[in-house]
Amino acid sequence: MKFLRAATAAGLLAACTGHQASAATGNVLFNGTITATCTITVNSNGTMTVSSNLQSLSSHNAGGSAGSAQVDTTGGVQLSVDPVTTTTVPTSDVTATTWTPTFATTGAQTIAETGTATALTVPGTSTVAVNLAGTKSGTNRFSAGNYQATVTLRCE
Amino acid sequence: MRTIAILAAGLTTALSPVAATSQSMTPMRGEVRSFTDAFAVRVFPGNPYNQRIRVEVHVYDQNFEPVAAKITPSAFLLAGQASRPVLVVVPFDGANERKVRICTESIPFPSEQTQIRAQICGKFFGHRRF
Repeated sequence: MKFLRAATAAGLLAACTGHQASAATGNVLFNGTITATCTITVNSNGTMTVSSNLQSLSSHNAGGSAGSAQVDTTGGVQLSVDPVTTTTVPTSDVTATTWTPTFATTGAQTIAETGTATALTVPGTSTVAVNLAGTKSGTNRFSAGNYQATVTLRCE
Repeated sequence: MRTIAILAAGLTTALSPVAATSQSMTPMRGEVRSFTDAFAVRVFPGNPYNQRIRVEVHVYDQNFEPVAAKITPSAFLLAGQASRPVLVVVPFDGANERKVRICTESIPFPSEQTQIRAQICGKFFGHRRF
């Protein structure tokens, strides 16, 4: 009987020594969702100069400069400029002016100069050049004094 | 009680307000279900500049017509590299759903000939549930 017990114990021990504790594994999942984001940082405002025929007041004219802004985006947004509604003109200027805002981008995404809303599909930083041109038609002319206009640059 | 319901409806949506610095406004997209006659959205305007700026929040419809929404606060000074929550409560005005734009606008630098006003608009869709 003693021999039988000893033999059984020895057999069980021998059977167990060949086995290793099995390692348990599990996967830990990470999810992240990035929604569309957009940041506009205005670097500098623009300057308009008058043309020699006094019918154009534009940042495109000689001596003028475009406004500059930086747009950081994930993509999936749209960039646009609003029609100009806020202007300051000299009291001597009583004739109508047509204001045309435009923009162009370089950097992460290049957009040729346009006045229509354009999708920003490439993530990254783009530099936006904002231009504004005021024009007078017929015999109307820009007059001496201070002009000021506000262009709304929108990212949505 | 009504205000609490509106807030709950708005805040339990999937609008994750993860506000990181140097973002002008987050989130920029959202869909809200509400059981009341208004829906609420919390947005986080941010100031990417290093100096304090004045920020205004406006609500427009799809045609950029102003919407009579309750904006708290609607205009404020924001420190450089900072963001803060703004609660916007938009009435359905009898409709079952409403699409609005919530726009954060920065006030342009003064004394320049051509000023640039930066405007970041988010698109939000409110559904009314009965």
